[in-house]
Amino acid sequence: MNGDRDSRAREPVAPPSLLRSQAFLTEIFQREHPVAGDDALSVAVGNFVTGSRTMTPAEQVDVYRHQFWLRHRSSLEEDYPGLQHIIGDDAFDVFVRAYLTAYPPKTPSLRDLGADIARFAESYEGFPADARALALDMVRYELAWVDVFDGPDPTPLDAALIARIPPEAWSTARIRLNPCVARLSLEHDVHRLRYAIKAGEPSELPPRKAEGVRLALYRARNVLHFEELTPDGFALLQALDEGVPLVPACERITVGKSDEAIGVLNASIGTWFSAWARFGFITAIELAEV
Amino acid sequence: MKQGPDTSDARGRPPRMGLPNLGFGLGLRTVHYAHVFEHHPAVDWFEVISENFMVEGGRPIENLDKALSRYPIVQHGVSLSIGSTAPLDWDYLAKLKKLTRKTKTPWVSDHLCWTGVHGQNLHDLLPLPYTEETLKHVAARARIVQDFLETRLLLENASSYLTYTDSALTEWDFLNAIADEADIGLLFDVNNVYVSSQNHGFDPNEYIDAVPVHRVVQIHLAGHTRFDKYILDTHTGEVASPVWDLYRRTIERTGPVSTMVEWDDEIPPFDVVWDEVKKARALCEEIEQRRAKAEKTGANDAASRQVVTP
Repeated sequence: MNGDRDSRAREPVAPPSLLRSQAFLTEIFQREHPVAGDDALSVAVGNFVTGSRTMTPAEQVDVYRHQFWLRHRSSLEEDYPGLQHIIGDDAFDVFVRAYLTAYPPKTPSLRDLGADIARFAESYEGFPADARALALDMVRYELAWVDVFDGPDPTPLDAALIARIPPEAWSTARIRLNPCVARLSLEHDVHRLRYAIKAGEPSELPPRKAEGVRLALYRARNVLHFEELTPDGFALLQALDEGVPLVPACERITVGKSDEAIGVLNASIGTWFSAWARFGFITAIELAEV
Repeated sequence: MKQGPDTSDARGRPPRMGLPNLGFGLGLRTVHYAHVFEHHPAVDWFEVISENFMVEGGRPIENLDKALSRYPIVQHGVSLSIGSTAPLDWDYLAKLKKLTRKTKTPWVSDHLCWTGVHGQNLHDLLPLPYTEETLKHVAARARIVQDFLETRLLLENASSYLTYTDSALTEWDFLNAIADEADIGLLFDVNNVYVSSQNHGFDPNEYIDAVPVHRVVQIHLAGHTRFDKYILDTHTGEVASPVWDLYRRTIERTGPVSTMVEWDDEIPPFDVVWDEVKKARALCEEIEQRRAKAEKTGANDAASRQVVTP
């Protein structure tokens, strides 16, 4: 045992007969409809599969085919309970089948099964018209949930280092945000709906909010939390994430505002930063080189 | 390769493939975390599903760390796809190896199966045709993986619901030949032997009697679900009576081996699963006591014969 990564070069060439059977069965196992009952396909399956005393070859492959859908539906059900609640069990089942057909599972972990689900949902036409916008918001929120749940642990902000930063350096300082904080701009309070669903509380579908909903989804002590942000707070985080230094980022969100509004905003910024540092949104402060 | 501690058992039998007999364990499952971390039950070791912890951070890693602080952890995987015709997934293997460094698992196990081709992963343990060419293909890959991981690889006999027209070997001959050719260990799943024997109509005793005992490093027990035309390896419910009989037959051949119970669906409270593990321990102790008694009787008989023999 040598741990030599050059072992890649030693990988054997796959036997042709095995290539054929695995290619064939990979397609068969993902078929939506049973093979048993499809005469032509049953004959083709019989070229590879023997059957048994109790089962035809087609029935045997249907065991795996059935398990394929059960397993992946169950996994998506676990990660997307909010979507299932909004559109109902039957529509969720149809959605899952359409999604898995368009984006077959690729990665070793079921954790990544929904990696393309928000993109797919955007173009999916099967959502009930009156729930479509809510469903899309929920999918985006629940996908973010999966990513934040086991994303990388942030480097803790060094409070002593911050204390040593000279006041004049703050104008050009860049704030590095925790990549494991998801920022979402939505139209519905899906975060509260999902919380209620998971807690088994009454869960009425929320109406669209004209003013929008802006959230930060984050992990603290390995528990997920949401923070509702004001439009200005959301915009400030956005600017900081783009690498805009602190002062210009603050200036960006004051553009077009009255002096009175700017005064209120300036008073809020300190409170925001204090909370964001506490929540772990900020992982480092980079000072401009002199 | 990592070596375990001096793991000779009470009767001085050497460890299998240099690996310890860890005793009796069970799968570490999220529904049991609260009980395990609060009450610290006297489990000898826990098995974890490798893929659940091949993540960057968060609650899974926190829980793994808690478990590691109290118990030996053994990694068991489901996505190696050792029998696939697709190239080995080196990103997956690198993550797996990184996790072995964290857990200090004495061995790494996965299944003798494939999970997909053409970039697709069906997340199932799909059976292989038992042919000479498949055997060579799988053995070559198993050896490469074991070399890369620098940890002993065990392959588990998976349960199956179909057989191939071009299979020319029995499942046990296929399994044993791969283990020999790749010089790997076996994770022998007794329930899977039973499930496949019922689905395919072979004698499970013949399978048990053929397994190379020196390569059996770990044993799995589990429940299954019987349908009209087949049995499914659901890891649900108590271990079935015929599976206990096969376990007894296995242990009578192998002697004590690290054994654990899998219960992955409709998981009951911890103590219900733990009771299954205790049944396995009691069965092994009974076999060991009987064996020790027989040896003692045999020794006494020999001594008596020495007295009367001039």
